[in-house]
Amino acid sequence: MATKRKIGKRASTRKQKAATAAPVQSPENINDVRSLLKVLRDGSKPIDVRMAALQSLGAAAFSVADFDSVHADYIAALREVSTDSHEQLRRRALGILMRNKDGYAQKKLLDGLKNSAKALVPPEKALQLLSYDVHAGAYSAARSILKKPPNDEAKREALRLLAADTKSTPLFEKVLRDKKELRVNRQIAASALHSLDPAKLQARARKILLDKSDYSDIKATSLTALEQFGDDGSLAKDKTLLQSVNRFKNSKISAKYKQTARRFLSKYGP
Amino acid sequence: MLGATIEPALSEPQFAALVDALAADPERRGDLISFLREDHPHYGERGAAAIVRMRGWVLLAIARGEVPDDALIFILEELDTGVDPYLVAAAARALRSYPRPTAALAPFVMRALGNIRYRDEPVSFADYGEYAISPTDASAVSEVLATLRWLGPRARDILPQLEPLRAPHGGLPRKLRLDVDRALQAIRSPAPEDEPGTHSCCGTAPNGVRSMSSLPSNSRRGTKQIESIALQDQKGELITFKEYFHGQPSIVVFFYTRCDNPMKCSLTVAKLARVQKLLEVQGLVDRIHTAAITYDPAFDLPERLRVYGQDRGVRMDAGHRMLRVIADNDNDVLRRHFELGVNFIESLVNRHRIEAYILDAQGRIAVSFERLHWDEEQVVIRTVEMLKEKECGSGSQA
Amino acid sequence: MDVELHINNSTAPEVRFLTWSPSPCRIRVTNPSGANTPTVSVKIAGVSAASGGSVVFRSGTTGAFSSTVTLTVPVDGTSVSFFAAGKFGQASVNDGDIKIEARVGTTLVGSVPVMVRIRKDANDLTTGERDRFVAAFAKLNNQGLGRFADFRNMHVSVSLPQAHRAPGFLPWHRAYLLDLERELQAIDPSVALPYWRFDKPAPNIFTRDFLGESDAIGTVQFSNSNPLQFWKTDNTPGINRTPDFPTSQAPPGLSNEAQTLALGTQFRAFRGMEGDPHGLAHTSFGGSIQDPATAPKDPLFFLLHCNVDRLWAKWQRKNDRFDAAVAESFDERPTSRSGHRLNDTMWPWNGITSATDPTRPPTAPGGGMAASPAVGAPGPQPRVRDCLDYHGVTDAASDMGFDYDDVRF
Repeated sequence: MATKRKIGKRASTRKQKAATAAPVQSPENINDVRSLLKVLRDGSKPIDVRMAALQSLGAAAFSVADFDSVHADYIAALREVSTDSHEQLRRRALGILMRNKDGYAQKKLLDGLKNSAKALVPPEKALQLLSYDVHAGAYSAARSILKKPPNDEAKREALRLLAADTKSTPLFEKVLRDKKELRVNRQIAASALHSLDPAKLQARARKILLDKSDYSDIKATSLTALEQFGDDGSLAKDKTLLQSVNRFKNSKISAKYKQTARRFLSKYGP
Repeated sequence: MLGATIEPALSEPQFAALVDALAADPERRGDLISFLREDHPHYGERGAAAIVRMRGWVLLAIARGEVPDDALIFILEELDTGVDPYLVAAAARALRSYPRPTAALAPFVMRALGNIRYRDEPVSFADYGEYAISPTDASAVSEVLATLRWLGPRARDILPQLEPLRAPHGGLPRKLRLDVDRALQAIRSPAPEDEPGTHSCCGTAPNGVRSMSSLPSNSRRGTKQIESIALQDQKGELITFKEYFHGQPSIVVFFYTRCDNPMKCSLTVAKLARVQKLLEVQGLVDRIHTAAITYDPAFDLPERLRVYGQDRGVRMDAGHRMLRVIADNDNDVLRRHFELGVNFIESLVNRHRIEAYILDAQGRIAVSFERLHWDEEQVVIRTVEMLKEKECGSGSQA
Repeated sequence: MDVELHINNSTAPEVRFLTWSPSPCRIRVTNPSGANTPTVSVKIAGVSAASGGSVVFRSGTTGAFSSTVTLTVPVDGTSVSFFAAGKFGQASVNDGDIKIEARVGTTLVGSVPVMVRIRKDANDLTTGERDRFVAAFAKLNNQGLGRFADFRNMHVSVSLPQAHRAPGFLPWHRAYLLDLERELQAIDPSVALPYWRFDKPAPNIFTRDFLGESDAIGTVQFSNSNPLQFWKTDNTPGINRTPDFPTSQAPPGLSNEAQTLALGTQFRAFRGMEGDPHGLAHTSFGGSIQDPATAPKDPLFFLLHCNVDRLWAKWQRKNDRFDAAVAESFDERPTSRSGHRLNDTMWPWNGITSATDPTRPPTAPGGGMAASPAVGAPGPQPRVRDCLDYHGVTDAASDMGFDYDDVRF
């Protein structure tokens, strides 16, 4: 392989991974890239060698002149290994394809969500990857997952995917209001609501801060949202809100949350 | 046996079978052209990747026979602004079935090469929806190069753009350099004697391909329904269609902020900004309105409109606005009135064409620019004609 | 008696930021009461807050710096110039943590607060520095509606040839980072872009209070008080990032700093670092940062590239490669691509699109390079050559107003 000479030249200047892992190299030219594509597709090679080849190919996409000349071969190889027997390779290949908005990958992921026998990755990973392309047509799949989430991560990723879905505003209001919801889901709901209906988020964040029974973490999220993106004029005049924030600051909460409250008060307080 | 009506919400395999059946029937082949309109019901409620597969298959089916003239604009549109390699490849292949190639086609093919050479993909046209997964001979770039070769001497004007791709660092792999060589050889060969005009003029569309159409005053429509729809601008101010568009000519483009084709919406709005600058230079900015209207009013709220326009240098004031409709069914009114080339999956656009309109002083559509890139100066010239029409009082109601 | 101190030739507060490069300053008497001679002797010194930065001075454009400078200043209001710079190794932590004081004898006659604002190792930031940076970055993103969208749109697949796989890679990204940093400073002037030193462990970066902690599927989690929890790009909230290494350690397989600096003394050899360590740093993760067209969706991208730029700066310092007229400083071969030659302006700042040049992208987001209130370089349409002498070594007018904590002037 032509690359061996180049590796030999630079071997002394490279860090090596631990003995069980394959060395990663930065390809210097298109011939190196072609060799790596062969390694990637070669199912007889150990998985860590193929993953290292994939990492090197990724680096080549940044730096090898004329990489575009093998882009079609790269996509073909990724499509091929997206159904490989090794899940880590499938995940990584599907991720790269989805970031390229590849129709093949989209179809595979959507088919997998509809029929778990065809799933190449777990549903939460499929949803996460589908969220790279807002045009993937994954909203109905996400809503189905929400009706009966297989696990917490899948529910969370379904919410994240729906964050730009204009029909989901009532859903996000409900999630943000629901104190029994996981913190991370309420956080996503706050973020989504700001995109879809900023006035609703501001109103809901205020209610959360005034609600003595709500959790400190969601109050901290609400405070952060208001401080960063709220309407400065109305916040400065809202005495009730400022009093609630002051109470929050003085309650038994973490030092970090106290600091958030202090920052808010120093910005908007008298 | 074909039924009299086309069922909506076909599965993709059913759609492909329908297309194949129509393509095989000489009496019905022409129906396939209607399948190329974005707003065709078949494309409703589908993701963008499905649309690509479907449209590609339609183009390939049309190209199994001679491509008719009225299909040409759809092919050129894809070559002009398409960024999906499969669809661009299908368009390039389809063009080779057009019976009357001229030099005017070459710039489109060359533009397609520019659009997809940095994102080439393997393509397979054997079966519907098939994705190539092994390095085959066919890629989007190879299809485009094959079409340049097919054009032969008619493509002479694009030689200066093609020749550099032959160089070692020209960006094409060795196997495609052979295709470049073949294309260059064909282009450099002597032009047939009986074929005049082997030079393209200015990258304009071939004769017969109409991307611009204008309506004489007595043919223009204005309806009470469109006049009364309420629009909201980037500052949140409300105004009706009539209030904004009556009284002076207007230039209207359509877009949406979630468009991910850099050759379409982002460029359209940036071009609108250039149109505004031309109006300023000519002292017309207070006598002609401009508007960018979103296809996606539920998502493109005022702040989003404002930022999108600002980022593209758009002038925004009383006569120049970014707009959205606010009532759900008003979006349908807008679509019907302008016959917008757009479709949706739920409320999200899944495909749209480039479209720009000039309205006369009564807010009626007078000129439309569709599918192919429109020229900013041409748009201004045509709008000034509307201004003269208004000032002469010749643009009366039908 | 009162005096007026001009930092960066202005009294405006927004210019009172120093780097390791000498900043032009002036002093003049505004109230001569008590003076009975035509001139007074004024001693200028820096007074640092605890843990604050430190400033040094010299009276002319050459010579050694020292902790004070004494100037003879006319009482008629005529100004006298001098130069101030941050003392190498002693950057500020907070805005205004140094006061430049002017005294006549023991009497204080004037003072201004300044900051020695320097790009630092992100792993070593104080809590305050980190939180200010994160808040400014989140504000710039503004949940997808802020100016950050332009920076994201400058680095997409159609624009990659403008900045990659060719000699202009380093200058382009230097300009890109500077443009972003100046936008951050328009939000909070105390902020400087920190760098991710990817050849060393940086556990403090990958935390919920900073750039986030990745879960098992690579979704990045933030604490409830971190404004980056509202980060959005391409209309999707959140960040996807799957480290292929434990974040308590450095990613393996990359050339370290010494190896990178040893790539060669000529630019042509050095720019091979685009592959290793730069490309390999990107691909030490799955997620957005792994792909050129999506990498800036992850804020870590900018810290990664800040380190890439720091390595270039360090290589320049080591080999004295600031002069564009010297071939070893920049070698534009082998390319004929626009934007990669020494005298080319660079997209998008030059506003050139495919409308006039088919090798360019269809639009040019972001307009011209952001201006700095403190320095004039590199101008709204920087050329490749304008990005070499970033701290004004060969020409003081080239000073771009930033420095790295471990790269001397």
